[in-house]
Amino acid sequence: MSAALTTVADLSDRSVLGDARLVRVSRAAALIAVVALVLAAIVAWRQGDPHGFAMIWLQNGIYVLTLALGAFFFVLIQHITNAGWGVAVRRVAEAQAANLNWLWILFLVPMFWLFVTDRQFHGSGHAEGYTFGHGLALIWPWADLAHLSAESPAEGVIVAAKSAYLNVPFFLIRACVYFAFWAIATTWFFRTSRMQDHSGDPSLSRRMRFAAAPALILFALTSTFAAFDWIMSLSPAWFSTMFGIYFFAGICAGGFSALAMGCLRVQGLGYLRGVITAEHYQDLGKMIWAFGIVFWAYIAFSQYMLIWYGNLPEETVWFIARQIGDWAWVSVALLLGHFIIPFLFFVSRWAKRWRGTLTIGVVWMLAFAWLDIYWLVMPVVPHDVATYTTYDALAAVYATTSTGLGNPLNYLMLVGFVGLSVAGATHRLSRCAVLCRRDPRLNESLRFENI
Amino acid sequence: MTTMTPIPQRSSVRATETPTRIYGIMAEFETPAQITVAATKVHAAGYRFWDCHVPFPVHGLDKAMGVKRTILPFLVLGAGATGTTVAFCLQAFTNASSISIWALVWVSGYPFLISGKPLMSVPAWIPVIFELTVLFSALSAAGLMLFLNGLPRLSHPLLQNSRFRRATDDRFFVVIEARDPKFLRSKTEAFLKTLGAKHIEAVEGL
Repeated sequence: MSAALTTVADLSDRSVLGDARLVRVSRAAALIAVVALVLAAIVAWRQGDPHGFAMIWLQNGIYVLTLALGAFFFVLIQHITNAGWGVAVRRVAEAQAANLNWLWILFLVPMFWLFVTDRQFHGSGHAEGYTFGHGLALIWPWADLAHLSAESPAEGVIVAAKSAYLNVPFFLIRACVYFAFWAIATTWFFRTSRMQDHSGDPSLSRRMRFAAAPALILFALTSTFAAFDWIMSLSPAWFSTMFGIYFFAGICAGGFSALAMGCLRVQGLGYLRGVITAEHYQDLGKMIWAFGIVFWAYIAFSQYMLIWYGNLPEETVWFIARQIGDWAWVSVALLLGHFIIPFLFFVSRWAKRWRGTLTIGVVWMLAFAWLDIYWLVMPVVPHDVATYTTYDALAAVYATTSTGLGNPLNYLMLVGFVGLSVAGATHRLSRCAVLCRRDPRLNESLRFENI
Repeated sequence: MTTMTPIPQRSSVRATETPTRIYGIMAEFETPAQITVAATKVHAAGYRFWDCHVPFPVHGLDKAMGVKRTILPFLVLGAGATGTTVAFCLQAFTNASSISIWALVWVSGYPFLISGKPLMSVPAWIPVIFELTVLFSALSAAGLMLFLNGLPRLSHPLLQNSRFRRATDDRFFVVIEARDPKFLRSKTEAFLKTLGAKHIEAVEGL
């Protein structure tokens, strides 16, 4: 008989119920997060660069957001396909996704703070044509159209035509809508699944399956428009209709990797012994490989090739910003580290099944998922791009462009936000079962085996 | 495959009492659990030319039988890499070179600038490279799977056996072939009986 069947699944309370072990992890993560964020505040104060700090905040905020959204997407597809195999890992995903019920704090609070305080961070004073609420221009240039037009008139014209969508009130309303949906949906799925732990009522599975279909549609819309709003509009004149799906591929790379990491660590604490087996890890690895590596590369390349082939200056400028100076190395690193190397690594069967190799692969993918978001958020499109007659002249001027990856603030904020996410998920798990222990398909999941 | 050689005609003119050569011994079981245990024991007994026939995939049976993992993935990887190389070379030759080669007729590359792109425009080639990689992989996966399974095959001695038809319905069969070095009709039959088979039968053939 196979390993899955000879290793008896331990369904005792100690193996299944969240207890002090998870509380300890939760507290440690929260402590590390707080220390890192305090250090980050000190470093940010000394650097005195509100724009740089805001960008790092946004980038790391989006990163931890993708980890939670990835888990949310995992839960939804488990339900909508009525999948049996994933029941053993679903509670971990649910707890991870339920972080969305507080992640709005990282986004909406700064947004509304910038909106209300309405400060001028770029030091030019209130320019002509001033509109209320352009404090958001600290991050999103379109929020202060007058300033943007003064800096780059051509860009100003394009962005002015988009103002029916890209205006501050509508932007804030959309952000509230996304977070309202994410918070409500993930909390509902987590709560319904926990209700089943107590009642064992199979009709709850059915109810979650029916809810998964509209939730999946809303997930696609909200994640797409969130990517448009928060990342694509950083270069407001630029657009790519594939941007939402690119972001989705990134969600899968980071989210599924974080889920696999969560399962590995929860088992490392002594939970779910014999419940999550090599078979489940292999399937998680397949999902990372398929969605986060191959699909990501497919979409990234499609987006690149269409823009490269079309060769329209207002479109190519976005990629130019990512291949001048040190950014060229980041782009190459993504090609190798987010696609070629993990493609070959995760294609192997045993690399997905053995915990040691899976841990290495998953940590690698989490690092490159972070770098991917960094690559999306951080580069600045040169405003004077139109004044150069050749690409080489432009590249020569911007040859010394720095990526800012050496700034310790990046990593302090990363540790802080990831720490908060880990603390949130483990705190939630510590108060319930770490397994959907009375899901009607649990037995199927325990016996699951790859052919 | 030795079992596929046609029967020499002169064997049919032998005396009628000569027993027909048998293909192997077939043992019938009633449950997946029984056949999994039986398979473990047959494997442990050292038989090499034998197989299990079941109406649906039985989890763990491959391991019980000691079946090694197929080499198919590595062959497909090789085929995929071949597709990648072929697609790259094809496009480099046709679009970016003026070399002439003889492929039944003389053919020559035709370097042609398209929308100001360099001749070696690898990004534009990637879709073709991707498609040929997938095509080579998919066709070789299907074709080599059939080849490794010894298919296509027009007939098989087991399919002449009426009892064996239940292998597609509700019975589980272990068949040990006569060509196995350890095969000895009486001993093999006795061995299969010890496994708790519901029914044991010699399968005629060849």
